[in-house]
Amino acid sequence: MHVTLKIQRYNPETEEQSLETYSVEMNEEATLLDTLDAVKDQVDGSLSYRKSCRMAVCGSCGMRIDGAAVLACKTPMKPIVESGEVPVISPMGNLPVIKDLVVDMAPFWAKFRAVKPYLEEDENPPVKEWRVQQEELDRVMTEALCIQCGCCVSECNSMESDPDFLGPAALAKAARFVYDVRDRGGKERLELYNGPHGVWDCTRCYFCNQRCPKGVHPRDAIAKVGAAIYQAGMHSDPGARHAKVFVKSTHKTGYLLETNLVPETVGAINAIKDIPFALKLARAGKVPNPLRPHSANKLDEVRKLHKLIEAQEQAAYAEGTAGPRRPPEEAQAKESE
Amino acid sequence: MVRHDVVVVGAGLAGMRAAIEASRYGVDVGVVSKLHPTRSHSGAAEGGINAALGNAGEDSPEKHTFFTVKGSDYLGDQDAIAVMCAEGPGDIYELEHMGAIFSRMDDGRIAQRPFGAGGAPRTCYAADITGHVLLHVLYEQLVKSGVTVYEEWFALDLVTDGERCVGVTAWDLVRGGVQGVEASAVILATGGLGRMYRGTTNAYACTGDGMSMAWRAGVPLKDMEFMQFHPTTLKANGVLITEGCRGEGGYLRNAEGDRFMFNYAPNAGELASRDVVSRSEQTEIDEGRGVDGCVLLDLTHLGAKRINERLHGSRELAMDYAGVDPIEEPIPVRPGAHYHMGGIDTDVWGHTIMPGLYAAGECACVSVHGANRLGGNSLLETVVFGRRAGAAAAQDVRRDGMGGVFSPSAVRVTERAIQRMLDVNQGERPYVLRQELADVMYDNAGIFRTAEKLETCKAQVAELRERYARGLVVHDKGRTFNSDLIQAIELGSMLQMADCLVTGAIARTESRGAHSRLDFPDRDDENWLRHTLAWYDDGEVELGYKPVTITEYEPAVRTY
Repeated sequence: MHVTLKIQRYNPETEEQSLETYSVEMNEEATLLDTLDAVKDQVDGSLSYRKSCRMAVCGSCGMRIDGAAVLACKTPMKPIVESGEVPVISPMGNLPVIKDLVVDMAPFWAKFRAVKPYLEEDENPPVKEWRVQQEELDRVMTEALCIQCGCCVSECNSMESDPDFLGPAALAKAARFVYDVRDRGGKERLELYNGPHGVWDCTRCYFCNQRCPKGVHPRDAIAKVGAAIYQAGMHSDPGARHAKVFVKSTHKTGYLLETNLVPETVGAINAIKDIPFALKLARAGKVPNPLRPHSANKLDEVRKLHKLIEAQEQAAYAEGTAGPRRPPEEAQAKESE
Repeated sequence: MVRHDVVVVGAGLAGMRAAIEASRYGVDVGVVSKLHPTRSHSGAAEGGINAALGNAGEDSPEKHTFFTVKGSDYLGDQDAIAVMCAEGPGDIYELEHMGAIFSRMDDGRIAQRPFGAGGAPRTCYAADITGHVLLHVLYEQLVKSGVTVYEEWFALDLVTDGERCVGVTAWDLVRGGVQGVEASAVILATGGLGRMYRGTTNAYACTGDGMSMAWRAGVPLKDMEFMQFHPTTLKANGVLITEGCRGEGGYLRNAEGDRFMFNYAPNAGELASRDVVSRSEQTEIDEGRGVDGCVLLDLTHLGAKRINERLHGSRELAMDYAGVDPIEEPIPVRPGAHYHMGGIDTDVWGHTIMPGLYAAGECACVSVHGANRLGGNSLLETVVFGRRAGAAAAQDVRRDGMGGVFSPSAVRVTERAIQRMLDVNQGERPYVLRQELADVMYDNAGIFRTAEKLETCKAQVAELRERYARGLVVHDKGRTFNSDLIQAIELGSMLQMADCLVTGAIARTESRGAHSRLDFPDRDDENWLRHTLAWYDDGEVELGYKPVTITEYEPAVRTY
């Protein structure tokens, strides 16, 4: 099949930038990576991109096709060719471009390192393996699928406005340890994710879930870390307080009491600063009557949901921090010591 | 110019394990890798890692040793195999304590499944993404250890002071330019060379660079003729479908729907050793009982639940790269070049004959795999011998101190060689030679070999080496992320290693393990129960031999 694509080129040595069109002859099974290889081999060897495994496990070949992050090796060209589309290939977003489709991953790995990306081991491990149930491991298996390709980070809306946001990949890594029964990181670990640029800075746009090529669901992982922070009783961060207002007000009325949101999140004194903005909103008819809060009809249903979620989160947190079990023979020996 | 006590080249499982171990001895460790560590091909290992934990059935290190010796077709060194099998369980427990997510049995212990020719359910696994899980666990530990990592530095040459290895030169891929990396000890852990074959499971990065560096520096390579062909790879791009599929009960069928493996291995069937299964498949295909150049890997009877739980990754690969959902229909598979048993000749502590130079993992040959590796033994080899090489290098450095002198002229020599490559403006493009090499090797030095085919292969490789020496055109003349240049250098390594492989194969006039000669169909212990050594002789391959270490198990007829 005849494949035509446009590639965003950038040469840092001449600072030239251009959008080049290439056409190559490919077989029907060809992926985007195969196509780039053909362009590089046969047309222009100076085209740069990363690659290695070509089977979606090494995480090298993250890039954008028509603005959406993909692994080039996991992207078949046939449907694109059949649709008549001439796709535009460009480097991933939110990371500085080094050359052509190669981005600088240093900021990505700096955030990885910032989340204490390793198991905080028990000081006194058993001689053999920890006894862990499959279901307990399944709880972190989704996050453990992550190949650190950066596709989620490329698409992260929050990182666009706050480049220091830890971001979906690093926080998914965090979740992988928070819910590992063998991890001894405790509150100290959670503290790393609770502060500025931590879990509460996620805008919940779900782009990371949508674009992850491995089904890691980073946004869900961020929610899990948030729940753990909440369950650990760490409510002081404005982000946590903000979440708490949602819980409190929906529990009370079934709706969100918007007028309580700002004072309860940032405190009464800070809220005073926002009064002019609130008045503007009120003039535009965007503020509900604070004196007669609306209330849902079936409040008991809402509260049932609350109870259910609360119990689920409590159980997950309790199980995730319960600590691993020693082999029975060793546990006995320890007890009799 | 940078300096570390111990420098590890390569950051897959063996390299990272070596670096972590060396750092435990308090020496200063640096890692040089052409890829970021988590991009290494260890991550593509799927099925699992062997160790005689005895969790799923009676087992012992001795039993593991015996079946590995038998699997090696008696070419493996039995002292080395015994070390690996005895120390394996400890390494597995350590990985588990580090956080590796191994699949579990109901009582919470590590689950184990049978692999080909293993003789017991011995393969620990993390669903079918074991390599991925272990690679990321070791990277986590590497970050924790604080070891300096030079990511995307492509090692070019070993630097010696005439006697000792004193470091390496490396091309900084991102910024461009040759860097000197001085070291008291260098550990090569650069992986395999499967990319010299057309149909291969290997990543683009598996180009035999480390082996080639050692060979050019005068260190012998051992048993290079032994290339393992994995029985279940996808037709379109050679992607691996794990042996775990058969370990979980999958069938191999021919065009007539027969489970043909029982005609070749009456007892083991689909779970015979890889060399046996690959030859059987190729015979079925050659005799007209294949399906479009493939046989069929049938998992449909395992059911959706088991496939999704245990073989989820394989299902995804089959759907992505073969357009087949294994829950619904069989996967067309064929043998593909997978694992190279040979490599840099080392002892059980990773020492090579050159003081200050060590090797571990697929680039090394201890030899624990002999003429044929058992599934699940390569991951084990990486952690056991990676750890041992790291320990030996660190201890030697602590005992012997600095080592030799790294002459700065080494950097200038390498820099000039690279400039010469960049200065070529007329001639062939590297990919032309790369594709020709891959075809020549697959067609003539593949599963079934003959003197005639191998001689053809040798002549064609020689011709390719000549064309390479004439100079190839690297389009990219810049310094920033010049992957065109790197690919040209990798091709040079592959051509040299192909020569070593085929020269050893021509000489070995017998059939043993993965080296199957149609003109010499039998194993010949009298003449060939010995290791081949390939030495560098002014650019050409000079063969030598050394004895196999036999301790407990006398060579016997090998059937499955």
